[in-house]
Formats: sequence, structure tokens, C-alpha cells
Amino acid sequence: MANYRIMVIDDENVVGRMIKAVIEQDPEYTVETFLNATPALSRLKEEKFDVVITDLKMKGLDGMDVLRHVKQDSPGTKVIMITAFASLDSAIEAMRGKVDDFFPKPVKIKELKECIRRLLGN
Amino acid sequence: MKISHKIIFANVFNVLLIILTGIFSYHLLDLVLTKLRFTEIADDLNKSFLEMRLSEKNYFLYGDGAALPDILQKLSESKSLIEETKDDIVKATGEENFQQLNESLEAYREAIESAQSGGEAGEALDESQPQEAENAKAKAVEASVREAGQKLREFSSRITRLERTNVNDIISGSRTGLLTSLVVILIPAIAVGQLIARRMLGSFKEIEKAAHSISEGNFSKVELKVSSDELGSVIKAINSMSEELSNREEIIIQSKKLASIGILTAGVAHELGNPLNNISMLAQGYRELYDSLSREERLNFMVEVEEETERIKEIVKNLLDFSKPKEAHLIKMGINAVIEKSLKLVQNMICICNIEVHLCLSDGLPLVMLDVHQIQEVFINLLTNAIQAGSPGDAITVTSRPGEDGGGVEVEIRDNGRGIPAEHLPHVFDPFFTTRGTSGTGLGLFVSYGIIKNHHGSIDVTSEVGKGACFTMRFPACTEGDRN
Repeated sequence: MANYRIMVIDDENVVGRMIKAVIEQDPEYTVETFLNATPALSRLKEEKFDVVITDLKMKGLDGMDVLRHVKQDSPGTKVIMITAFASLDSAIEAMRGKVDDFFPKPVKIKELKECIRRLLGN
Repeated sequence: MKISHKIIFANVFNVLLIILTGIFSYHLLDLVLTKLRFTEIADDLNKSFLEMRLSEKNYFLYGDGAALPDILQKLSESKSLIEETKDDIVKATGEENFQQLNESLEAYREAIESAQSGGEAGEALDESQPQEAENAKAKAVEASVREAGQKLREFSSRITRLERTNVNDIISGSRTGLLTSLVVILIPAIAVGQLIARRMLGSFKEIEKAAHSISEGNFSKVELKVSSDELGSVIKAINSMSEELSNREEIIIQSKKLASIGILTAGVAHELGNPLNNISMLAQGYRELYDSLSREERLNFMVEVEEETERIKEIVKNLLDFSKPKEAHLIKMGINAVIEKSLKLVQNMICICNIEVHLCLSDGLPLVMLDVHQIQEVFINLLTNAIQAGSPGDAITVTSRPGEDGGGVEVEIRDNGRGIPAEHLPHVFDPFFTTRGTSGTGLGLFVSYGIIKNHHGSIDVTSEVGKGACFTMRFPACTEGDRN
């Protein structure tokens, strides 16, 4: 059985916690959560993750910085962007940066899980 | 009176003075010319009289028979010269002297004629008259001729002398007259010029001050006694411009407010988005994990949901606070005390971030009406921003000084941190505008702006990337009418 590594970066700790709790019900997935991008990116250098779920608006490095770094350092890793801006502008901007999928808040965890599954080709 | 009228009046006055002086000088020159003409005539006459006297001498000393007709000839020439130039002579010497001259000539002519007839009779009665009687008669005739000649010559010389003196008097008089009129023209010209210039410059200075104050965004009317001249019109125009600008500013503020509502709504949506997402996540997690959760864990889920709703409540409350700003409790206060108090409150942050603070507080500043807590909030906001914009070792300078226009107080908070990019400068006072991600609410400067406006003050910012930012606040001085 494959074991997929998933990283969640969001400055709201509830987001990471809930995604981790729900998704890890499926033993195929291991989820690591981070409250900001800098330690997350260092961790990404140590270990390969299959999917990175990141909030767009964060203090310090934001979602777009994460996307850029991930696509540069580990092109195979999929990136899902979460944002409170449910506007078209952010979506287009995010798509331009080759984000793999895009979720406006509030996020449905089930849909997120399906998206992960889809991205991982299952 | 309008300035143009004043200038025209002054010019007309000066031109009149110049014309008067011209007429006066023309008259004097005319007089001098007449007198000179007379002296020329008088010279001719004098020369003629001298010749007559010479002929007279020839007749009496040498018995020159041709001398008397010669004198008569000269007399008649002089007579006709006098008649020809009667107007000039009368003009120069007066009618009386002219008559006197004529009479003297006539007397001389009569004396010569009687001498002539005496001589002829003497020759005819040579035999019958005794020699003594003849001699006596001849002597009497000679004496009368000499006397008449003498008189004529003396009279003529006297008048000539008199006229020369007159000419000298007239020339020196006209010199004085010209000098006097020059002074009379110059003094009013300078005085009127000075008066108008001073009035105009004074008013221009006031207008310049008013324009300067308008350029700083102070659209109050120019308080000047409005004169009826062009400057009055300029002041009226400035006042109506100021009023129009003030109206336009209100329109701009209104449209800015509308734009702010848009930004505010977007901001609110974003701010509410996070707790709503959290509640949604908690609900989904609760449902998904329900069976595996202990009772305590389930309760914790609900506690967290409650906390998130608290967060939403707080955001809504803050929002209401902004839409209904707290009423300011204004008291008369020195601004320096508020600055010092605010600095104490951020002292800890300053120490941690290793920022230097320079205080340049002016003494004797006018008191201002302010709500200490609100102004403190503004200063703390600005100081916090300045601290966060800097790196260890950077400096913040807080300055208080009298307002530029003489009234009120200015407070400047300047840092040498990273500065604000030019494209962000127009938005720094917009709600939810922040460059600090989730760590900044984007409400600090928006609230500060509102507070300063409520204090009838102004706040603006200048900045250059890499060199720091400078926020300047201006507060009006309290007036006598302000309470405590």
C-alpha cells in the first residue's frame, strides 16, 4: 500500500489540524502541518512530499512563494492553494503560477481529499 | 477706489504737474526772449544815440554844418525803428517807458531843430545882431541840445540796464521755479507710487499666504477686509475657489468613502472568511471523526467553534466601532505629554527591536484640544509601524514644533526603515490596506486618520523606499472659546 506524504501550510491552526485528522483516517496518507512557510520549505528540502496544501495569504512568505519554491525544488509535488479570496483575480493569478488546484474558503475536506486522490492518479 | 483708478489718478496728477511746469517754463522763456529782443533793439538805439551825440559834438566843437541834418536823419531812423518795434518795447518795458522814450526823442529832435533854425537865423542876421547876444543864444541852444541828448542817452541806458537785470532775475527765477516744480512732481510721484506699492504688496502677501494655506488643504475663507479694488476681487475669487475646492474635496471624500466601503467589504469578507472556514472545518471534522472522538474531545470541538464565533463577534464589533467612531472627550493638553506617554507604552517593543529613539520636543507649544486616549492610539500606531519598518540599530525621530503657519502644533514621526513604495503611498490610510500579511489588520492608519480628522487636524506621509517614512500630523491650537 502506497504511503503518500501531504503537507499543509496555513496560519490558522484549526485548518491543518482538521485536514490532518480527517485525511489521516485513510492510512494511505501521512499529513504534516505548518503554521508558516519558512519551516515548511526547509522540511520540503529534507523530504519529498506528494502534495502541498497551502493558504495563499500568510505573513512572511505567502502561498505564491511556496508554490514557486515547490515547483522549482520538487517539480513532481502537486500544489493545492486555499484562499479566503474567492475572487476570480486570485484564481487566475494562482493558475498562472501552475498551481494544481484551487480551493476557496470554506474548504470541504471531502472535496479536498478527492482532489488529492485525483492528483495522485488514484 | 480701484488700483487702476489710483494709478490713473496719480498719472493724471503728475501729467498735470508736468504740463503746468511746461507752461510756466514756456512763459518764462517767452519773457526772456522778449526782454532779449528789447535789449537788442535798445543796443541798436544806444548805438544810434551815441552816433547822434558824436555828430552833436562835431557840430558844436567844429561847426560841422552837415552834423545836424545827420542827427535828424538818425532821429527819424530811430523813430521809425521804435515805431516798428513798438509792440516788443511796450511788452518789455511797459507803455509808460515807451511814451517817455518817445518824448525824450521828440525833445531831442526839437532841440536839434531849434539849433538848426538858430544857426540859419544867425547866419541871416549876422549883421544886425550884436556878437555877444548871438553867442549867448548859441550857448543856450547848445546847452538845451546837450541836455536833451544827455537825457535821451541816460534814459535809454537806464532802461537797457534795467531790462538786463530783469532778464537775469527771470533766468534765476525760472531756475528756482523749475527746481521747485521738479520737487513738487517728484514728491507726490514717489509718495503715491510708494503708497500703492505698499498696499498692493501687503495684499499680495496676504493672498500668497492664503494660496499657500489652500495648497496645504486648508479651505477656510481668507479673512481679510475685502477692499473694493482689484485685490478685493482677487480675494473674492480665492474665497470662491476655496469654497469650490472644499466642495470638491467633500465630493472626493464621499467617493473615497464609497471606495473605502468597497475595500472595507472585501476586507470584512476576508477577515470573516478565516473563522467561518475554521467553523466549517471543525464541523466537518466533528462529523467525520464523531465515532472515534471521546466525549471530552467532542466538547473541545464545540469550545473551539464557540471561540471562532467569538472571533467573528469581535470583528463585527470592531467594524461597528469604525462605522460609529467613539465620541472624543477633548481636553486642553500639551502634545508633548501625550508623545512621552505613548513612547513609554512602546518602550518594551523599542528595546526588543533595538531601535534608537530621538526626541526633539519644542517647549512653549500652544495647547491643543485632544482626546488623550485616541491621540495616544494614533501615536502608538505610528510608532509601532515605524519600529516594525526598521531593523536593529535604526532610529526613530519624534519631533514636535509650532505649526508652519504660526498657529497650532505639528508632530512628526520619522523612521529610517525600509520606507513605503510610491504606489502604496496613496493607499496607506485605506481600510484593510496592509503590507504585512495577516500580521497587520490594515486598520491602524485608517483609524488614526479618522481620529486626527475628528480632532480637526491633518495627517500626511512622505516616504522613499530604503530611506524611511515620515508621518506629519497637524493639530489646531485651542482657542479661548474651548472649554478647560
